[in-house]
Amino acid sequence: MSNALHQLSAVELSQRLQAGTLTSRALVDALIARYEAVNPKVGAFTALDIADVRAQADASDERRRQGKSRGPLEGIPVAIKDNIAVKGQPLTCSSKMLAKLVSPYDAHVTEQLRSAGAILYGRLNMDEFAMGSSTENSALQKTFNPWDLSRIPGGSSGGSAAALAAGLVPLALGSDTGGSIRQPASHCGVVGLKPTYGLVSRFGLVAFASSLDQIGPMARSVEDCELLLQVLATPDARDMTCFDASHRQPLPVAAPAALRIGVPRGFLGKGVAPEVVQALESVLDFYRRQGCAIVEVDLPSADLAVPTYYVVATAEASSNLGRYDGVRYGHRSTQASNPIEMMTNSRSEGFGPEVKRRILLGTFVLSAGYADAYYVRALRARAKIRAEYLGALAKVDVLLTPTVPTPAFKVGEKASDPLQLYLEDIFTIPANLAGLPALSVPCGRSGQLPIGFHLVGAPQSEAKLLAAGKLFEAAHGFAHQQAAL
Amino acid sequence: MAEGFDIEHLAKLARLQLTPEEKVLYAQQLNSVLGHFRALAEADLPAQVDDALVVSEAALRADNPGPTLGAEAVTRVAPASRDGQISVPRVVDDEA
Repeated sequence: MSNALHQLSAVELSQRLQAGTLTSRALVDALIARYEAVNPKVGAFTALDIADVRAQADASDERRRQGKSRGPLEGIPVAIKDNIAVKGQPLTCSSKMLAKLVSPYDAHVTEQLRSAGAILYGRLNMDEFAMGSSTENSALQKTFNPWDLSRIPGGSSGGSAAALAAGLVPLALGSDTGGSIRQPASHCGVVGLKPTYGLVSRFGLVAFASSLDQIGPMARSVEDCELLLQVLATPDARDMTCFDASHRQPLPVAAPAALRIGVPRGFLGKGVAPEVVQALESVLDFYRRQGCAIVEVDLPSADLAVPTYYVVATAEASSNLGRYDGVRYGHRSTQASNPIEMMTNSRSEGFGPEVKRRILLGTFVLSAGYADAYYVRALRARAKIRAEYLGALAKVDVLLTPTVPTPAFKVGEKASDPLQLYLEDIFTIPANLAGLPALSVPCGRSGQLPIGFHLVGAPQSEAKLLAAGKLFEAAHGFAHQQAAL
Repeated sequence: MAEGFDIEHLAKLARLQLTPEEKVLYAQQLNSVLGHFRALAEADLPAQVDDALVVSEAALRADNPGPTLGAEAVTRVAPASRDGQISVPRVVDDEA
């Protein structure tokens, strides 16, 4: 039995742990064996403290024996993207800048995981400072798509998606600024949710673009995603954009039996691979057969989303990454005789090419003489995009598109052309600009390569998205799938 | 829209030192990306910026002192420290 533990869902593992037919230690030992066999091929984890996770598992088993189980994730391992703080563990953001940083504190979500009984299970690779769509921008290592090791896993939460698809862990945390949970989830055949902006505290998430960043759950099934979301989504006064208790909708709520699904056909034409179009049509057919109404909606400003995003995100990044000056933490250059040289050399040595590119772009769009033409216009475009999405979502329950225009591309294929890579995020970016919840669910294959579909809902409609995802998942064989490695 | 794009000035503002090769590469890549941004210049946009990030007074927590990390934890992650303080290169030159 133990060699199949890595294939089980978090919900089933939790049931076995509660029934006493499984211990957390036996589960963790099985996953460590899997890690030793498979992680060298996939490169999902950048760090796993084996002695520490065994100690956490033993402590969980002891709590259970004493009848002091903490919560719904008691004894379940959750792997964490390397930009979310766990006290005493590395917090590298896959950057040379933070290569030696050990976090002195816990993120809010980490505190929530601890109080739910979870095992904090290792650090996951990512694009440096979450900037990228392929995890090729990691300064630490490459991560490969478990379904085809010559291809990228997506990004920036590529380590999270690859770890799930490779059966290395049942649950993972990602972060999503423009699609960084959903796009790798789609490419690796797993489920990823970007919550409504403000639902999950960003305290302890290393900032990239603060008005867009959200932490979210990733899993091999919608049900597991929901289990993890319920632990994460709690008020936190340390993030002033995090909803307090009085502004939260209860989770879960009953979803309407027959959803109205909006399809922005005008937005789907360009650059979408035929197999992705075909998968999308079969998803629509399925929902139609379930009695859902499929309605065409118009999102005329959707084409502005990519430029708007890259202005807003890089502007915020250039400001947020100003803190890496070699003074308080992170890399400090030894080649400096005065403070300005220390800052300049530390940044130049510590940041990789994509981070430098985005800092330069963000600096430009905020600079005197250009801020009105770029940054302020982007904020106005953001208002327009948000209004159009909210308008459409007043008429339908969810908007449905592919998650990504094409299946996972080859490692290195787009590395020299940043613009092509930025266009990967065309379907996912609007949810970040508008602060809306969005879910990617596996729905098909192009050969071995997974294809996902994307649901966007009104603010705090996560329960509706999850219910719609579960409906599809229950009728198809895509949940719980793992690559043969 | 991208007239006056000066990679050296930008690098200075961003406190980045670029090699001659990097200057050429980044200038070319940023120009390509900024070309894609032209749609923003041509779009018919509302006069108002997005208000999604306007935080109401009610959302702000009380400004009360709370626990902090403490000097030991802070200096442990600092690149260099001495006597419980973070040390940096000399800021002011010696003057006679």
